[in-house]
Amino acid sequence: MSNVITASKLTLAYDNGKNEIIKNASFRVKKGEFVFITGPSGSGKSTLLKALYGALKPKSGILEVGNLDMSSISRSKLQKLRSKMGIIFQDYKLINEWTVEKNVILPLIISGYNTEVQDTQAKRLLRHVKLTEQAHRYPLELSGGEQQRVGVARALSKNPFLILADEPTGNLDEYSSNVIWDLLENACSQLGSTIVVVTHRIPSIFNIPYRQLIIENKGIYEVH
Amino acid sequence: MKSIKNHMMFILPLVAILMGIEFFLVFDRVTNSYEQRLKENYSILVVSRHQIDVDTFHRIDKRISNVEEIKRQNIADKIAKGMGDISGSDLMRALPYFYALHLNSYLAEDDIKDIKERLLRYRDIKRVETFGENHNAKYNLFIFIKTIFWVFASLMGIVSLFLLIKQMEVWQMAHMERMRIMEIFGAPMMLRSGVLFKMGLVDAFFSTLISGVIFYSLKEWAQKSGIPLLESKYELLFSFSDMLILSSMAFGIVIIAVIFVALSTKEVRE
Repeated sequence: MSNVITASKLTLAYDNGKNEIIKNASFRVKKGEFVFITGPSGSGKSTLLKALYGALKPKSGILEVGNLDMSSISRSKLQKLRSKMGIIFQDYKLINEWTVEKNVILPLIISGYNTEVQDTQAKRLLRHVKLTEQAHRYPLELSGGEQQRVGVARALSKNPFLILADEPTGNLDEYSSNVIWDLLENACSQLGSTIVVVTHRIPSIFNIPYRQLIIENKGIYEVH
Repeated sequence: MKSIKNHMMFILPLVAILMGIEFFLVFDRVTNSYEQRLKENYSILVVSRHQIDVDTFHRIDKRISNVEEIKRQNIADKIAKGMGDISGSDLMRALPYFYALHLNSYLAEDDIKDIKERLLRYRDIKRVETFGENHNAKYNLFIFIKTIFWVFASLMGIVSLFLLIKQMEVWQMAHMERMRIMEIFGAPMMLRSGVLFKMGLVDAFFSTLISGVIFYSLKEWAQKSGIPLLESKYELLFSFSDMLILSSMAFGIVIIAVIFVALSTKEVRE
């Protein structure tokens, strides 16, 4: 199976390369895999995720996402790559002035889909995340769990080849967390999306096979 | 309600800027009209031994725009009336030629002196009268008024610029998060800023309309105000061509503001 992510001797750093967070790390993520990246607070989990969606340029080494070199990727290619990804954030990153429905179809708006497709997809996704009733409400009128479901629906709206999730249940109660994990499991098993989740704790009940990578002492290691 | 407030927050400073520009246009027209009147009423009197044609005067100094020959017959007749034993035709032979020279702009005292010297260097010209003292007093008053208008317009411009920068900061704050989120999901700059362009252009249209209506109403009021000075010059207060200038300025300001906001919210790749 082809690799969706390839990292080889990857070093990520801030402050113009002075502050190294990850050093000489190598790992691969294959198409259709569900991967948890764990590690203690401040170990560099979110930094790695930023590099995966192109917000942080590698200091050295190789990082390829969807066969594109993230060290030398142009702005327009990065925009295209991001439009094919789904990204979920701990703080949801919803547009508060937009309705739930419009937030969900943001990736479709960006890709220029016509309104008919947007409407159909919005209805399907909101039904999928059980937020049909909230379609015309605004994010700040929803609970944290509901907002994160909007975030997941948005990430799924274009059947992305890769979903990146940064602590998606970090701010949620157990019930809401389970709903989010179910949605991500389904995306992986039914849509075939590759999913990389950064989290400090893997859920106790998880129904599909997954891999775990751990970030420790600036390195990334496979947990067997 | 929130949407109206958001629009008003942009429309009001833009109207202030446009009113500043319109004030400047009005002041410019008023001072130009005043300058034109001063210029038309002012002339240099030249006394010459022989007749001089217009081209010769233009060759002497390019700033001479118009030459009016004062009819010698009238002067001769007036003088002859007071001197019974001398005929008008005899006087005509002895009389020099008189010219009133009009200038292409209202000039400073030094420039007038310079023209006088150039004229006196011409062999046929015997005398040049510039009415310097009277001219200088009017000129200084005119410059004083014009300077006050310029200072006022500049101050309006500076205040407007601060308002604009302040509004840009408000825009930046209000839309930064949305634009950043859109960028994360791969939106190009034009799409990210689309909402700002749309909002800004609608506001620019309404701001131009409001400013135009205010000055048009002022013009209508001035026409029927009963104040002679305003009634005679009411047309200077507003011209429909001003709408073209105001709308160009409004749309220009909006486009610059949106590009400024869009560029300043561009995600930095660390």
